[in-house]
Amino acid sequence: MIEFQNVSKWFGALQVLRDVNATVAKGTTTVLCGPSGSGKSTLIRTVNRLEPIQKGQITLSGRDIYAKDIDVNVLRSGIGFVFQQFNLFPHLSVVENVMLPLLRIRKQSRAQARPAAMQMLERVGLAEKANSLPADISGGQSQRVAIARSLILKPEVLVLDEPTSALDPEMVGEVLKLLRELSADGITMMCVTHEMGFAREVADRIWFLRNGTLTFDAEPTEFFSDDAHQDVRNFLSVVRKNH
Amino acid sequence: MLEIIQEYWLLLLIGEYPHGKLGGLAMTLIISFVSLIVTFPCAVLIALARTGKPGIVQSIANGFVHSVRAIPLLMLIFWAYFAVPMIIGFPIDAAFTLIVAIVIYQTAYLGEIIAAGITGLPKGQREAAAALGLGYIPTMFRIILPQAIFNVIPGIVNQLTTIIKESSLGSIIAVSELSYVMLQVNSNEVTKPLQIFGILAAVYFVLCFALSQATNWLERRISSRRTGQVVVEAVA
Repeated sequence: MIEFQNVSKWFGALQVLRDVNATVAKGTTTVLCGPSGSGKSTLIRTVNRLEPIQKGQITLSGRDIYAKDIDVNVLRSGIGFVFQQFNLFPHLSVVENVMLPLLRIRKQSRAQARPAAMQMLERVGLAEKANSLPADISGGQSQRVAIARSLILKPEVLVLDEPTSALDPEMVGEVLKLLRELSADGITMMCVTHEMGFAREVADRIWFLRNGTLTFDAEPTEFFSDDAHQDVRNFLSVVRKNH
Repeated sequence: MLEIIQEYWLLLLIGEYPHGKLGGLAMTLIISFVSLIVTFPCAVLIALARTGKPGIVQSIANGFVHSVRAIPLLMLIFWAYFAVPMIIGFPIDAAFTLIVAIVIYQTAYLGEIIAAGITGLPKGQREAAAALGLGYIPTMFRIILPQAIFNVIPGIVNQLTTIIKESSLGSIIAVSELSYVMLQVNSNEVTKPLQIFGILAAVYFVLCFALSQATNWLERRISSRRTGQVVVEAVA
């Protein structure tokens, strides 16, 4: 589904990704974890070319995402992306946020787009907030709207960059519950998170990055076992101490 | 002062209209609003160029803004009034000349205000639009500009008060706006300059003060809308 081949990236002189080689299989959930500055967010932002790479190749369903005939906007509309800070459009209501991709990318009329957007809002449990402004809803609700917006174009892949990190603890649960449901529905998902319980429960593969290198790629049972890479065990012990 | 108002109030309001040209306060308002309406899209284009990708368009926009900000409006008016007819070979209406000069001048300033609104938005807004697959035009016109312009409405209204004041420079090239009319009144009533220019100052003050109050009201409305809170107006 998504294949990273020798992917490297630099910010100026600083190398932030080092020859990453990995595959995300269709219909699976991959969780990325690692210490701050390890390159997790940068790696997932390369999937829809929000961050360009300087070396290597990324293929989505067998097609090089940097191929000359690839329209970057078409590529992006096929990849749902959820940000840590939600990034809802504050001048649009909740339902207008979800409708926007249908109106502007699918060129649907408002009459066509609104029922589809309402259906998506029902799926994330926020139909009753359709006419609210983003400023009027909670962080957890905002993130669920952001997920609804990212799913409205029925993307092949859903990519989430620390979707619960900006939330109050009591709101984390509602977002993780939704992500569990999406994972169970079989959507291909890549998620950067520090929620190790979620990773253990939902992930098919867990990737561990350190200093831009993918040091460990394993199933959850192996990841959380004593056989895991030393870096992973150190990381997990720090995470456990902090929780 | 009252007798001057009683005698000249119609001239002050509409100039010599309907027996002659429209003038006075009506002309000042027309020049100001037409200037703002024409300036606005020009300023949006300058702001987009200034905040867009570096290149020839941005360089031209930068050159325009820096040049215009370095010269006085009066010089621009003289240029438009005296030099342009010599270049194009036929005379131009003075009011039209004034509007063109104000538009050029204010495009640089209003463009900077809108550019500040664009750069002041969180980077995530543009990224979110890009991640959805929106191209440059829908991103700017549906996502970025509505928010940027909304946030700088007070600055835009403030520029309108500046334009109203700048329109008084039209009196130099015989545009029969408010200041020009009052200069004519002063010529008739030679001994009352204090009262005449007192009235002129009062009219400008009332106009601009009303606009600045409207700006304050708008600012309160905007902040309440953005924070999702209802502003409770004090009941006197």
